[in-house]
Amino acid sequence: MLASISSSVLRGVDGVPVTVEVHVAGGLPAFTVVGLPDTACREARDRVRAAILSSGLRWPQQRITVNLAPSGLPKAGSGLDLPMAIGVLVASGLLERERVDDVAFLGELGLDGAVRSVAGTVPLVDALAPSTVVVAPTCQAEAAVLGRHRVRAALTLAAVVAALEGTAEWMPCPAPVGGVEGPSSWEVGDLSEVRGQPLARRAIEVAAAGGHHLLLVGPPGAGKTMLAQRLVGLLPPLDPSVALETTKVHSAAGERLPAGGLISRAPFRAPHHGSSMAALVGGGSSWLRPGEISLASGGVLFLDELAEFAPAVLDALRQPLEEGRIRLARAHGAVSFPARFLLVAASNPCPCGNAGTPQLCRCSEAARRRYRRRLSAPLLDRFDLRLGVQRPDVDRLTGQGAEEGSEAVANRVSVAREIARRRGVGANSDLSGALLDRHAALDPSGRALLADALRQHRLTARGVDRVRRVARTLADLSGEVGPLLRDEHLSVALYLRAEPEALLGAES
Amino acid sequence: MQLGDEPLNELPGTGSAPSRARFGGNPPDVDLHAACVVALLALPGMGPARLERLLTWCGSGERAWHQVTAGAPAPVVGAPGRQGSSSNLAARWREAATGVDPVARWKAHRSEGVDVLVKGKVGYPDRLVDDPEPPHVLFGRGDLGLLGRPAVALVGTRRATPYGLVLARKWGAALASSGVAVVSGLAAGIDAAAHQGTLDAGAGPGFTVAPIAVVGTGLDVVYPASSRALWRRVADTGLILSEAPLGTKPEPWRFPARNRIIAALADVVVVIESHERGGSLSTAEEAAARDRMVLAVPGSVHSPASAGTHRLIAEGAGIAVGVDDVLSALGSRRPVPLPEREGRPGHAGSARGRASAVDPDEQVVLDALGWEPTVLDDLVHRTGWPIEVVCTVLDRLRRRNLVTQDGLWLTQRGDSAEP
Repeated sequence: MLASISSSVLRGVDGVPVTVEVHVAGGLPAFTVVGLPDTACREARDRVRAAILSSGLRWPQQRITVNLAPSGLPKAGSGLDLPMAIGVLVASGLLERERVDDVAFLGELGLDGAVRSVAGTVPLVDALAPSTVVVAPTCQAEAAVLGRHRVRAALTLAAVVAALEGTAEWMPCPAPVGGVEGPSSWEVGDLSEVRGQPLARRAIEVAAAGGHHLLLVGPPGAGKTMLAQRLVGLLPPLDPSVALETTKVHSAAGERLPAGGLISRAPFRAPHHGSSMAALVGGGSSWLRPGEISLASGGVLFLDELAEFAPAVLDALRQPLEEGRIRLARAHGAVSFPARFLLVAASNPCPCGNAGTPQLCRCSEAARRRYRRRLSAPLLDRFDLRLGVQRPDVDRLTGQGAEEGSEAVANRVSVAREIARRRGVGANSDLSGALLDRHAALDPSGRALLADALRQHRLTARGVDRVRRVARTLADLSGEVGPLLRDEHLSVALYLRAEPEALLGAES
Repeated sequence: MQLGDEPLNELPGTGSAPSRARFGGNPPDVDLHAACVVALLALPGMGPARLERLLTWCGSGERAWHQVTAGAPAPVVGAPGRQGSSSNLAARWREAATGVDPVARWKAHRSEGVDVLVKGKVGYPDRLVDDPEPPHVLFGRGDLGLLGRPAVALVGTRRATPYGLVLARKWGAALASSGVAVVSGLAAGIDAAAHQGTLDAGAGPGFTVAPIAVVGTGLDVVYPASSRALWRRVADTGLILSEAPLGTKPEPWRFPARNRIIAALADVVVVIESHERGGSLSTAEEAAARDRMVLAVPGSVHSPASAGTHRLIAEGAGIAVGVDDVLSALGSRRPVPLPEREGRPGHAGSARGRASAVDPDEQVVLDALGWEPTVLDDLVHRTGWPIEVVCTVLDRLRRRNLVTQDGLWLTQRGDSAEP
């Protein structure tokens, strides 16, 4: 007797449909799984057998062969437990074939027959063709995110069988949770708490509005981390397509999802500087897990103490920064993860942190140069905004007068993002070539301004386009919609993009 | 060299001078005493004071060299020694001296284009003749004629502020075009800026005097490595002097010793910026001990880089607020053709020149800037203007060189020079 059940497995952050074929025939009692299962997948045999017996069902004393098709694709994880068990029951005639028509199954089984959740439910469900999908109760919200399938859940294998046979009810689906949801309970904080740093405030507004990568350099206590956290609060809610993509990545990585299942607020990821290459860009041996840069997709990746990261790890960021995706190749195949993040980095100017303030630095010239060399020029070049921040005066911190709050700034940001979208790009940082010339044109006086900056070594040739993009965003934020860039915006853009020498000292 | 037949316990000054043949060859142009002093200077731990005692004890360079190669535990070598006992040091000297031919050493210096100035011989700088601690030999590369010029030392801290660096550079240039030789130490910070200014002036039209540098290492050992290009340009156009033979590595004690030569070679010593316990204060002390005029440049009371100069002023040093002050200290009677006149805030002449050049907006920004390095955040706060306006006005001021930027720090220039 043969049964074939629909399910899926993860490959990177995408689901791949898998058909679980179960053949039950005469012969010595045996249970084999073929079709490139990994260890967790092969161990399903023991879980499936115990779960069926614990559920009070009969285990066929026959020769059982399970094939996972397509058989050339390596399969990982425990999500195929439930489809295998259902397949055995169908193939041995304990469950009618018609009951599982157009139904797909996803779930791990406990030895007591409990149906458990699996990582990556969102992409797994996305890969399924049948109109109904049965999952663990804890995955119900996640599975319903896509909205294409009828999602069913039950606590145990026995309850699944009973519900399929129509003798019991499925578990009720939780009411959908409305509102905008972030991926974590990260405390974002309000921009009005940032006092006495007008330039830094402007920089994070510009970064949020134009998607410009931001580097903050300053002594300890200058508020670099505080600024980066406020930035994520300025970003508009994610587009539905981006939200789904980000949710899939978080789901595949086994990260906790918000109650509603869908991540619709920009994520904020702040990996520690000790993070390995695999943790940051993704990797692993058999199961390629998305890294922090993919988890930050659609939101902010904050790298504090940039110079303390391993140089190789930082250089690995360059390609995803350009392309918005990271491609990882291993011996058994290649995957690609989304990695369209806004990079915010913070660094001290030198090991002691005081180099920006004349006379306070205790580092030797050699130590400063060593520190400086940890940040490669190509990486520093990726930052449209490079800013020195200082500790503000105490009287300014405690001074009167309210600073503008996040809400007002976020409104300007979303207007500027809308203007950029009408230009056909996600944000002004994507403007290039003909588009840049059309929307960020230079008049003679603007050209003279940039030429001056080039002569004074305040700007390099490669920085010209970046300064123009930033000036475009500044203009959009001030409601200036004409294609010509005004001097004042170019002038501010130049101050918002200090040369690395000014921030970190000369390289040699 | 066979020196074993020399009696070891012989008293200095009584033995016969070794024959020239022992030193391999007898070229007429080799000063044997000087050659031995050069070789002695290359020994580990050999400073001016030890050398002086050794030569006094032995009477001549040749005899001192013999004592050393014989490993004699001369009473002078261990005197207040930090390098271990006298016999220990004598052994180290002997080891270091083994196989060294002073004549070959001497020739090596000559063939490298290094002049060796010997105390008591022709060519030794006049200013050092009556010095309390004159170097026995001085190695020089470049134009020795510069030593005959009126000289001003511009010295200061390595950790200088933009204020001090701009001043050192401008004064270096102004002094060089007034016919004064600028002496400094080729260290980072003020020293480098002073040399740079002197070279700047040399690159322009008109008569200028090239720089003199006194360094603490051998003339072939560039220190700090970051000033390699400057080092070469000073050697090419001016003069580099050192008390240490070729190949001498930087050691902490050599730099204060070098400072006394800077002080001795200058008629006036100007300390531009110095920390509370800066090395340039030692230059000022050495200068005072030699009756040289010491001038100090005042700075902000908030700036730790001016703490040392303020102390000098409190202790009686003169105040220099412009090149004019330096030149009058030098006793220069000549009309001074400065490339640009000093303009200081409150100076009537420059204020009038300023008023026409600066519009009200620009004046507000300049006032907010004050006379200390300031970051843009502070300017925005002090003016209360939007960032756009402050940046635009600042750019106008920068284009006319009224404001300069170093790192993140904006500084008002002390004059209204158009670039």
